[in-house]
Amino acid sequence: MSPVLHHRRQWVVGGAILILAMGIGLAGCGESVPGERSVRGLPEFCQEVLPRVDAHLAEMEQPQGERYGGTVVVGAIGDLADGLNAFSLADYTGAQHQTHMHLMTLVRVDEELEPQPYLARSWELSEDGSELTFHLRDDVTWHDGEPTTARDVAFTFIRATDPETAFPNAAFWANYTAGEDGVEVLDDYTVRFHLRPHSEILDTWRAMPIMPRHLLEDAPPSELNRHPFGTRCPVGNGPFVFFDRSPGASWTFVRNPAFPQELGGPPYVDRYVYRVVPEQTTLLTELLTGGVDVYVSPTPDQASRIEAEEEVDLVDFHFRSYVFVGWNARRPHLSDPRVRRALTLGTNRREILESLYGGYGEIANAGVPPFHWGYLDGIEEALTFDRDEADRLLDEAGWTRPDGTGIRENGDGDRLEISIKYNTGNQQRQQIAEVMQAQLREIGVAVEPRVLEWATLFDQITSPDQRDFDGVVMGWVTELKVDDHDLFHSSKVDQPFQWAGIQDSELDRLLDTLQVVMDREEAIPLWHEYQERLAELQPFTYFFYPQRLAGVNRRLQGVHMDVRGEWVSVADWWIPEEARRGRSR
Amino acid sequence: MTRYALRRLLGAVPLLLGVATLLFFVFSLAPGDPASIYAGSNLSAEVMDQMRRNMGLDRPIHERYVRWMGSMFRGDFGYSFARNEPVRDVVFQFLPNTLILSGVALGLAFAGGVLVGVVQAVRWNTLTDRALSVVVLFFYSMPSFWLALVLILVFSLYARNVWGWPIWFPPSGMVSVDHAALPPLGRVLDRAMHLTLPALSLATVLAAGIARYARGSLLEVLGQDYIRTARAKGLPEWRVVGAHGLRNALIPVITLLGLYLPVLMSGTVVIETVFGWPGMGKLMVDSVFQRDTPVVMACALLFAGLVVVGNLLADLLYSVVDPRIRYD
Repeated sequence: MSPVLHHRRQWVVGGAILILAMGIGLAGCGESVPGERSVRGLPEFCQEVLPRVDAHLAEMEQPQGERYGGTVVVGAIGDLADGLNAFSLADYTGAQHQTHMHLMTLVRVDEELEPQPYLARSWELSEDGSELTFHLRDDVTWHDGEPTTARDVAFTFIRATDPETAFPNAAFWANYTAGEDGVEVLDDYTVRFHLRPHSEILDTWRAMPIMPRHLLEDAPPSELNRHPFGTRCPVGNGPFVFFDRSPGASWTFVRNPAFPQELGGPPYVDRYVYRVVPEQTTLLTELLTGGVDVYVSPTPDQASRIEAEEEVDLVDFHFRSYVFVGWNARRPHLSDPRVRRALTLGTNRREILESLYGGYGEIANAGVPPFHWGYLDGIEEALTFDRDEADRLLDEAGWTRPDGTGIRENGDGDRLEISIKYNTGNQQRQQIAEVMQAQLREIGVAVEPRVLEWATLFDQITSPDQRDFDGVVMGWVTELKVDDHDLFHSSKVDQPFQWAGIQDSELDRLLDTLQVVMDREEAIPLWHEYQERLAELQPFTYFFYPQRLAGVNRRLQGVHMDVRGEWVSVADWWIPEEARRGRSR
Repeated sequence: MTRYALRRLLGAVPLLLGVATLLFFVFSLAPGDPASIYAGSNLSAEVMDQMRRNMGLDRPIHERYVRWMGSMFRGDFGYSFARNEPVRDVVFQFLPNTLILSGVALGLAFAGGVLVGVVQAVRWNTLTDRALSVVVLFFYSMPSFWLALVLILVFSLYARNVWGWPIWFPPSGMVSVDHAALPPLGRVLDRAMHLTLPALSLATVLAAGIARYARGSLLEVLGQDYIRTARAKGLPEWRVVGAHGLRNALIPVITLLGLYLPVLMSGTVVIETVFGWPGMGKLMVDSVFQRDTPVVMACALLFAGLVVVGNLLADLLYSVVDPRIRYD
């Protein structure tokens, strides 16, 4: 055998092995067929739990009807990184999947944000507002077949109020007696809480999903948020059953055929897939080529592209977030409300809204979003762009410029110079800072935009011993219940989120009262007063409430989205048979 | 050769330990910790403190260092703060995806690059050579994310919506949502379709670089005496170039392999992001921004290890291609 031949054979054999290996690699990984799943390689807990879910699912009869069937695919740029564990910190998308799809809350709210029965059939509050009793449905089961009872509710409460758990939304329980003393299980389907009377009591129970006691009871509280339940094998009781997850790529859910008819019944679609596509241009292409049926939150400049396309629709709806520039009133030149008001008046927010958000949004002045029942109509007009008024206010506050141009100075010869910080990777915030620089120059204020990496910026503005900023461009997501205590109450001035450092007795009084008034009618005038006061004090220059956008393929029917979220009607989404996947392509 | 390889690998241990130590302190001393990253919603100071305790971040830094090093030697890389899973599980979820993508891309890049280089060298100074040079330079200087977006635009969006081609490529993901329901052959095809665009955009830029090297190196070899001898003894041209020329010309190209291996593992962030490919690059970048230190350090160590292995591999490959090089 000649050496050359020998070597050549080596190459051929090597190449063949390589190709074979690649083929196996390509074919592998995807053995699971809908209806069966492999539990190989999962934590022990999951290997026990998932087969029980499968067995339970197999027993149930699937609903029949022309709307039932098909797969819906939702695409978004972020993963449900924290999974479906209601004890750990979920971002907005994760929380939406928990409350609307996988788990159940005691109450849900209708379009007017009025509480409606969900897991709880009914409830009553004692005369003095210190006892809240829920009567639960008796026809709800966990996806593994165990009934959901009052003991699950009590378990959820006890764990969530246990400091060891480090439950992130501690504000939920501010008015509750924590731990076992705070809750009583009266019978299998009745549970009672002990609390101090406060406003919008039911909001906690709209937001807090109930967790399965029989699966998580044995886990130590401090380890709850890293329990495999959350990311590998969540078991809920909502309309959708967790089926599969491909880390960093997708989550798959299937229909829960046992979901009570009275609550809307089982979902129409057989299967729901949440896909992660981190790049928005790619995600738009996926929407336009039918790879996803819903594109969650496209950018405003993609909106016109979506509208122009025949296959897809653009949906826009009110949302709970706002964009603002927070001012540090601890700084001497920003301590005067007149100066802060002038900064707002000197900024043409309408123009920025049009250019950055394509007009999808509403001007904000006081941090109570337009969807809220306490919103003061007309407040959006309060501080409309007016350079003359801004000039007048600054003159009045002692910041003058004798020649009418240049940078203003006060009596001590200090110049009115401020920096506005923003975080890297957010173009809209950068542009806001830059546009403000140009516009405020006109009223004699020197603005220096400064960019910092998020963690560093966050540290600088939230650490009570730093507060190293004049102005900062930020976004804030409110809950359906608005409570600005942490932002503006003077008692919180040394807490992380009192960025503004504002101390105002009038604001304190309103914040305190709004926390305890239980009757909406009584609260509305107080909310109005609160917004007027904020517009006057301007601890923030509120910019706008951006509308939330979604691109939706027209084959998908029954889509309704509002301030409650994209996923509020997901069980009602359906696809006509002829348009289902595998038929159209 | 085995002894040589072992010696090299052993020598890498102190290097990796140094890298690990450096990484640990850089990340521990950077401002912001995971607890503060999560504080987008109204987290109270008490809850943040409790989260830190649960994550073990309340301990002094030297204690954390010792603990981390200790568990690392037992193969335990700790828990991912952001993903609530053991780091080992997280890495093993993402690693195979990257291996598939980089492996295929590397294969394509070498095959394509060497082929173009050979054609150019053989047709040296002709119109073909010059035209190919322009093409190669064009791709060499192209940012890969741009190429990726163009590929998506042409082979997904336009192919399907404008030109109505019967075959168009999915713009993102590793498999289609109906993957599991497909027959076995359909599944392979489905994966290949999803792999095509990302692998192409990754390979094209690499191939351009390889082509430059291969061309230059082969040109040099083709001027050697032994090539003239081969031709003189009447060997067909393809044997001259293929067996005698290429074999010698490949030596510097193999150096590139060693350099590209770690780059392909970590440097695919952009491609992975654009194509929604859940791989190591994306994992690492996400983790850096989430201050998910345990994952970042595990990834960084893995990459450091790859640099070592890549270089070693290149050195060993020299001796395969060039019998004059021996390691004892």
